[in-house]
Amino acid sequence: MMLSRIADSLFWIARYMERAEDTARILDVNYHMVLESYQSYRLRWHPLIIITGEQELFFQHYQEATAPAVIEFLGFRPDNPDSIVQCVSKARENARTIRDRISREMWEDINGLYHQVLAFRMDDEIAAGPHRFCNAIKFGCHRFHGVSDATLPHDEGWQFLQAGRSLERAEMTARIVDVEYHNLVEHPESPAPPDNHQWMAVLKSVAAYEVYRRQYHTQIEPEKVAELLMLSPHHPRSIRFSVAALQSSLRAISGTGAHAYANEGERLTGKLHDSLTYSRISEIFERGLHAYLTDVQKTCRAIGGQIAHTYFYYSAAA
Amino acid sequence: MGILEIVSPTQAPHVKNLFGHYDTGGFYDEMFSSPGVPRPHFRHIYQTLSTMRPEVFEERRHLADLSFLLQGITFTVYSDGRGTERLFPFDLVPRILPRHEWDHIERGLTQRVLALNLFLQDIYGPQRILKDRKIPRPLVLSCRHFRREMIGIQPPRGIYTHISGIDLVRDSKTGEFYVLEDNLRTPSGVSYVLENRLVMTRTFPRAFELDQVLPISHYPAELCQILRSLSPHGGSDPVIVVLTPGIYNSAYFEHSFLAQQMGVELVEGRDLVVDCDVVYMKTIRGLTRVDVIYRRIDDEFLDSLAFRSDSLLGVPGLISAYRAGNVALANAVGNGVADDKAIYAFVPEFIRYYLGEEPVLRNVETYLCSRPDHLEYVLAHLEELVVKAVGESGGYGMLIGPSADGAQIDAFRRHLREDPRNYIAQPVIPLSRCASYDPASGEMAGRHIDLRPYCLFDGEKVIIVPGGLTRVALKPGSLVVNSSQGGGSKDTWVLRGDA
Repeated sequence: MMLSRIADSLFWIARYMERAEDTARILDVNYHMVLESYQSYRLRWHPLIIITGEQELFFQHYQEATAPAVIEFLGFRPDNPDSIVQCVSKARENARTIRDRISREMWEDINGLYHQVLAFRMDDEIAAGPHRFCNAIKFGCHRFHGVSDATLPHDEGWQFLQAGRSLERAEMTARIVDVEYHNLVEHPESPAPPDNHQWMAVLKSVAAYEVYRRQYHTQIEPEKVAELLMLSPHHPRSIRFSVAALQSSLRAISGTGAHAYANEGERLTGKLHDSLTYSRISEIFERGLHAYLTDVQKTCRAIGGQIAHTYFYYSAAA
Repeated sequence: MGILEIVSPTQAPHVKNLFGHYDTGGFYDEMFSSPGVPRPHFRHIYQTLSTMRPEVFEERRHLADLSFLLQGITFTVYSDGRGTERLFPFDLVPRILPRHEWDHIERGLTQRVLALNLFLQDIYGPQRILKDRKIPRPLVLSCRHFRREMIGIQPPRGIYTHISGIDLVRDSKTGEFYVLEDNLRTPSGVSYVLENRLVMTRTFPRAFELDQVLPISHYPAELCQILRSLSPHGGSDPVIVVLTPGIYNSAYFEHSFLAQQMGVELVEGRDLVVDCDVVYMKTIRGLTRVDVIYRRIDDEFLDSLAFRSDSLLGVPGLISAYRAGNVALANAVGNGVADDKAIYAFVPEFIRYYLGEEPVLRNVETYLCSRPDHLEYVLAHLEELVVKAVGESGGYGMLIGPSADGAQIDAFRRHLREDPRNYIAQPVIPLSRCASYDPASGEMAGRHIDLRPYCLFDGEKVIIVPGGLTRVALKPGSLVVNSSQGGGSKDTWVLRGDA
């Protein structure tokens, strides 16, 4: 019988790992895009802070969103709870509290990643560009999931890992699309139309550039990017794909069949999945993309709360 | 190829030998019977090490350290404010015991554990030994870890000391083993015994082929068997848990290691809840009843309703569930009365009283500061003695006279006068030494060691995995082996025979 605390830790290990990976992706891609672009840097670094939702904290420490400031803040700062180093540390700390319940390989892998991450010197990475660091995180996260898939029994514990990852990814992709669309299309800071590079960067940050090319064979159009990242049933980082994965994990945990739900978290997940499945991108744009994505993010947070309520927390009276 | 192998570079004369400047220093040396002459049971490993190039040894040492780091076998040091993780230093030179020495130790420990368990049954039961005046009643009742609440409660199958760690030292003067202290509450370190062995078999696989080393890997299975037997309802599949104070405890690695090895749940206090004197754990499917708890939380933190009310580590109501017989605890509550350092002086008497036998392993001579004549002697000889606070462990609250300065001695003089019951004193034992690697010089050097075997008691017989934890004082000349004070550990081998 799985302890609630262990399920909670597995769920959060996956969330922190996903958050670390997503942050590393946007940081890395953005850095390279800025190198190739002639636009002022401020234009491109600021959105990253908005995507991670830590504007207030950021501007307590920095005047301006420059490359070194953002790399330091998102990559290394110990007082930013969402910095990559913090995410990896918290994932590893959670793994440490349940190391008897995960495979030895998983523990050694995540512990190794932690020591590897600590060995990076921030100043070197800022000077040389964050690619090496971000790559280490990206592949570290991939390896962790590979090791988990190959060594952890695919029981409810594994499902909690999957659920954590899917939920975090859905929310992160929603934020990326929301912020970027707002910046590049609705409220561009420069009067010139945004060039392809910026949309390419967005696609690359969610590993969807090649997919886009193959699927649409056209110039990069913002609506099509949004369609791919939100509604694609096959792209593993699209919102719909992630919500479908979340739904299947939650059903596996509760033992619920299709077309039914056992708790509020499952109901919200199913409803969101239906909306993503049966909506056309044109309909979403008619209603307003920002409003839609705001709803998606709100629903994701509510689902997280409901999962905790159903499986992790006990009232004081027990 | 054959010809080349004869002139192996390891034997080239200009190459440094790891034992080039080894000095037994007048101590009993576990490896050498006289300078340059290894004892028979150390012959193979000496041959391996003395012909090994220092770079090769250094490389293996690095691999061993890396293996500990990656497995996260670390303890956390909070004194620097950052919570740095440190490796528990592991020395690659094993400590080897020939079979006849181990058999002697095993007999002595078995007897001692049986007597200590009988003493606890007696003290929390009829108190015969007090009535027969074999030990002063005030001394027993004034022990800090004596738990009045436990009087009259029979723990399952009469077992108090399910797991004990008994510290032994070899005196250089006589070459004999002595018992230095008993640890009957929550002795730790057995995970290092098992992990050290694992790392050694990876680092020096050949050595295990040459020497017939007795296996130790059955410890978790033996422990689990005992825990199962404690189940209050005797069902076939009791729910067993290991209760840990949590990730910030220095022995956390061990707690999770044992839970994993036994295949039982590792829980924290917040995972458990007591309802109507029954203990449950909180699972994703609701509450599940718990039958047996191997607790690694000290008595006073176990239950904020029974003991310290400020404790958040334990489980409110646990003791009342224990009293009701609905859950078993290992070790039992109240064992601290038997490993108090003043009570220690009477253990040989317990063996005579309860078993009618002479002790196989002797105690170190001990002065009880609660006795005025002893106190007077101790105060006059502080510079030569080791003074210990009776309720402490882990090398805390200790004065080592010969290496202390005037201020420290004066402080202890005051402590002794203010609270004599709280202290004992012992002569400084010149601990035996064993060859250990000294990273500073890149060579082997003699370092003082002790030995902590782990004894399991199932109510009838005492089970001891051969060997135990050899702790080594890695600082040159130091006699303190505790990890909190710069000590490390070695793999401990008991050979199937005598060499």
